[in-house]
Amino acid sequence: MKLNANARLLLVTILAAMVFVPSAQRLKLAPRQSVNVEMQVALPLFVQVAMAAGDRFLAANIAAIRALWVDNFKMQKEEFKVLAKVQENVSWLNPGHEDNYYIAAAILPWNGEVEAAQRILARATTARRFDYQPAFYYAFNLLHFKGDAVGASNWMREAAEYLPEGNNRLQMQNLAAIWLDRAGDLDLAISVVEAMARQANRGDFRRYLQQRVIRLEMLRDLREAAARYQQRFGRRIVALSDLVESGIVAEVPKPPFGYGFAINEQGQVVLQDSPPRAPGGQR
Amino acid sequence: MISFLLSAWRAGLRSRSIQAVLVLGVLLVGVAFLSAAFSPRQPKTVALDVGLSGVRFSLVLFALFWVQELVGQEIQRRTVLFALTYPVPRGHYIVGRYLAVLGLLALAAVMLGMLLWVVVLNAGGQYEQAFGVAPGARYWLTILGLWIDAAVVTAFALFVASLSTVSMLPLALGLAFAAAGKSLGAVTEYLARGADGGGEVMRLAPVVDAIHWFLPDLSRLDWRAWPMYGVAPDSTAIAGGALVALAYIVLLVTLAVLAFNRREFQ
Repeated sequence: MKLNANARLLLVTILAAMVFVPSAQRLKLAPRQSVNVEMQVALPLFVQVAMAAGDRFLAANIAAIRALWVDNFKMQKEEFKVLAKVQENVSWLNPGHEDNYYIAAAILPWNGEVEAAQRILARATTARRFDYQPAFYYAFNLLHFKGDAVGASNWMREAAEYLPEGNNRLQMQNLAAIWLDRAGDLDLAISVVEAMARQANRGDFRRYLQQRVIRLEMLRDLREAAARYQQRFGRRIVALSDLVESGIVAEVPKPPFGYGFAINEQGQVVLQDSPPRAPGGQR
Repeated sequence: MISFLLSAWRAGLRSRSIQAVLVLGVLLVGVAFLSAAFSPRQPKTVALDVGLSGVRFSLVLFALFWVQELVGQEIQRRTVLFALTYPVPRGHYIVGRYLAVLGLLALAAVMLGMLLWVVVLNAGGQYEQAFGVAPGARYWLTILGLWIDAAVVTAFALFVASLSTVSMLPLALGLAFAAAGKSLGAVTEYLARGADGGGEVMRLAPVVDAIHWFLPDLSRLDWRAWPMYGVAPDSTAIAGGALVALAYIVLLVTLAVLAFNRREFQ
């Protein structure tokens, strides 16, 4: 029997549908290749500008959104280096980008990228003469991460210059004087990160900063407990378990993210920035 | 010349491909609104920033499509011969078409500019950012800069169309020209600052320097830092950028007229 043209087309349609429906159902069950969204590559500046059709502002926005999109909770130390490079590129393309200097101040120095954060903040200070915050964060990083109280005080005075005349400017100038003897002060660090969280518009980023505050508060409490231990027993703690065994704390707190706490060579409780070593030396 | 201008204006408004590009322009402004959601501190600024990039991209596409439709295709289909039977110099056709595209671009710039401003006002919801964006003259001066940028690209595409026998060539070369001209500022600044110590890249410095002789720096027409951050651009830089653009437009349109006068239509 010979089929006419329409019947042949109908037959092809039915055959195609018979292939499509079961294969689509099977495909639904097939495992998906997981895409690693973390920071692994920082494209050269030339390539970023070319990909934005020559528009440096657009290139800056694309890279800034990429830096914001990444899940900081799961990032490794090497990935923070890439994030720092991406954010430095944004700062070069558009030094006045507010989100960029803000997330650089909130993330980079706390993950070992102090120098990159400072370069971004210095550029933002120059580009945004109407905004005191880049200079303020620069000053805070000098004080907290580098212990440079004199340099921090100078930058605080510069930050005060970007405020209008009045009480706020006077308060900041007063802080510049107080900061001269507050290097390494955790209460100050907590209040700075808390203030950053309050200013965040995006809920997920605000939660990230709030968890950083919780982590810093735990660190402060452990340092206070370690000081009490030294006062009571006349010696420094060797391990965090000393605090539990002595009854000073009920348990070592577990921070909301990161690798917990450790004791550094000076016997001070610090945040651990990499997975703890297993007994055999394996991480 | 006026009759060439009016016929091109009407044809430009009726063109279907332009309606499609207009939809793209509206979509790009929509992307600006969505991009504000990524910003923790400055949603309105990000919406304005991405939106201005979208407006620039759309205006360049409009310019190239209009030149292709109103000049390139007329040459390819030989319908240009009907226009050339009028007892007027051939140059009137080219200049009339160019002015028509400029008028259409101005209309598109005003429409997209108003739409973008509505988007910026509504970006970020109730969140009050610490440093607002500047409305009014600063914003419209930035839109004017983008229009001048598109006018330069139009002149270049028109010049290519006056020589080319392939109607798609003005579109392809125009896109490359728009991207290269816009990149020139960033590349020059990168090299002037030592290219992050990249010796290999620094070898390109004399080449990039030489490119300034025949390619205008279109990034000099981008004044968005003023409405975004309230940082006023240097007035001599604004005047210089506009003067370079005007001189380049006159040069290219004159060359286009010369090429068109000498062209033989078989």
